[in-house]
Amino acid sequence: MNDAEENPLLNGPGEVGLVQYSDFDYEKPFTFEDGQTIPRFRLRYETYGRLNENRSNTILICHALSGDHHCAGVYSIRDRKPGWWNNMIGPGKPIDTNRFYVICSNCLGGCQGSTGPESINPDTGKPYNLDFPFVTISDMVRAQKQLIDYLEIPELYAVVGGSMGGMQVLQWAIEYPEFVKRIVPLATTSRQGAQSIAFNEVGRQAIIQDPEWKGGNYEPDAGPRVGLTIARMMAHITYLSDKGMERKFGRRRRDSGEINFSFDVDFEVERYLRYQGQSFINRFDANTYLYFTRALDYFDLPETYGSLEAAFREVRARALVIGFTSDWLFPPEQNKEIVQALLRQRKQATYAEVPMDFGHDSFLVDAPNLYRLMVAFLWDK
Amino acid sequence: MEKLPDKRTVDMRIISEWIESDSSVLDLGCGRGVLLEYLIQTKSVFGVGVDWNMEKVSSCIKRGVPAYQGDLIELMKSFPDKFFDRVVCSRTVQELNNPAQVLLEALRLADSVTVGFVNYGYWKNRFHHLVSGSHIINEVNLYEWYEGPPTHPISISEFEWFCNRHHIEVTRRVYLRGDWETPCEYLPNLLCGYALFELTQ
Repeated sequence: MNDAEENPLLNGPGEVGLVQYSDFDYEKPFTFEDGQTIPRFRLRYETYGRLNENRSNTILICHALSGDHHCAGVYSIRDRKPGWWNNMIGPGKPIDTNRFYVICSNCLGGCQGSTGPESINPDTGKPYNLDFPFVTISDMVRAQKQLIDYLEIPELYAVVGGSMGGMQVLQWAIEYPEFVKRIVPLATTSRQGAQSIAFNEVGRQAIIQDPEWKGGNYEPDAGPRVGLTIARMMAHITYLSDKGMERKFGRRRRDSGEINFSFDVDFEVERYLRYQGQSFINRFDANTYLYFTRALDYFDLPETYGSLEAAFREVRARALVIGFTSDWLFPPEQNKEIVQALLRQRKQATYAEVPMDFGHDSFLVDAPNLYRLMVAFLWDK
Repeated sequence: MEKLPDKRTVDMRIISEWIESDSSVLDLGCGRGVLLEYLIQTKSVFGVGVDWNMEKVSSCIKRGVPAYQGDLIELMKSFPDKFFDRVVCSRTVQELNNPAQVLLEALRLADSVTVGFVNYGYWKNRFHHLVSGSHIINEVNLYEWYEGPPTHPISISEFEWFCNRHHIEVTRRVYLRGDWETPCEYLPNLLCGYALFELTQ
């Protein structure tokens, strides 16, 4: 018996299987929306499936705040944790790698291999830290476009993504209207609302107030671990729902089932949040967290373009926007507004709402309803 | 039950005859998008459907028909006056909670509104009611009272009265007999099985 036989993620039906990432190095200066320029950047990305002869079957996946380029498959035969959207992407799955060539890149400003605050500033030989330019959703998209051009892909069959990924999806359709044929923004918004900015601010303050943050100039293996943990714990609550948490945890106690009269972990939900926080600090950079939450906060299509209708004026892509009933971070109304504005511009747009009680994270969950919508839209004639 | 597809076709044929090529159409209660798909293919309309049901919206997506899953009024209110050339309300009005509001809102959105409904005043319906006193189930009323949505019984004369009262002008009428095919020449409120109106205000 070997590991490969044991691991169904490796060669089970519908699995992408073993994958590896690639690095794209853009060797020219790149100017951010804030006016600052960096001399070069790197994007780490993965691809699954094969580009067809016409080079017309590419689906670009845009990841959310804490996601990365690894959205399907496993890295080794012992890897038990597949990419973050492995349930959606694979041979015969809704984003079918038998038909489509799938690309996902780590966003500019990220901390999973792409150039971000952690990267070495070639001018100083030290990490950028807070000298890194403020990255916006538009910057992320323009950097991705360089990758797509480098891969000599003349058009995108579809751009798909949830949450912050959904914002990039909208930005793609707006900035490159001729290039993008279909878009699927999920659980997203055209304009970050006050509540979401408020939550992001609490997360940022938790990081900034941690003495280990040191004005952003912490050592690579140190940093505001407490602050980032708390930021993640709180943010994680906003990705769930009242009902979903009640079902998953209720008032279940840890271990003995007795109340301990202590401030240690008594409840299962506390243990879960601490675990989420702890595992996050091992894979995510606190400064990237600050930059990305700011990118979310600054995202406001109506303000940038004058109105949401004006933003969508040149869009050519057909759109399927999907909202989730229990999402209170980017609630159905905010997803509907996108479709209403697209329709007012006489664009081909559809709104569908999936009844699920997993909150904002519903789009990541195994859900036949969601798969059916995706298949209907992506596999059409 | 076999006649149902035919009845749908008749309905669709007349509705689409009234629709200009390249016009814009909103279909209230679009179901699986069959009408809009036909209109997009044959008249290259800009069409949008709206329906509550996710499965039906999913079928619209499969057909390539833009659709909005949600409340009719909510979607209608998001459009400016006369945004569409026509609003179609085919066999939807009887199931609405707020038919008057929906029809008036439709008239705000388009110069022409098509409304089609099964005439409750049709003699067979009257007869059925007289004899059994019970809920009608046939090829167009598919559900037992405890299975389907609440349904308003609408008759032609009541509909005309409604239009009159709201100063809605009826620009076209088509009355069909019980087979939904033969034109109904006289006594429509008694002899017409299915009625189509074109309204303007």
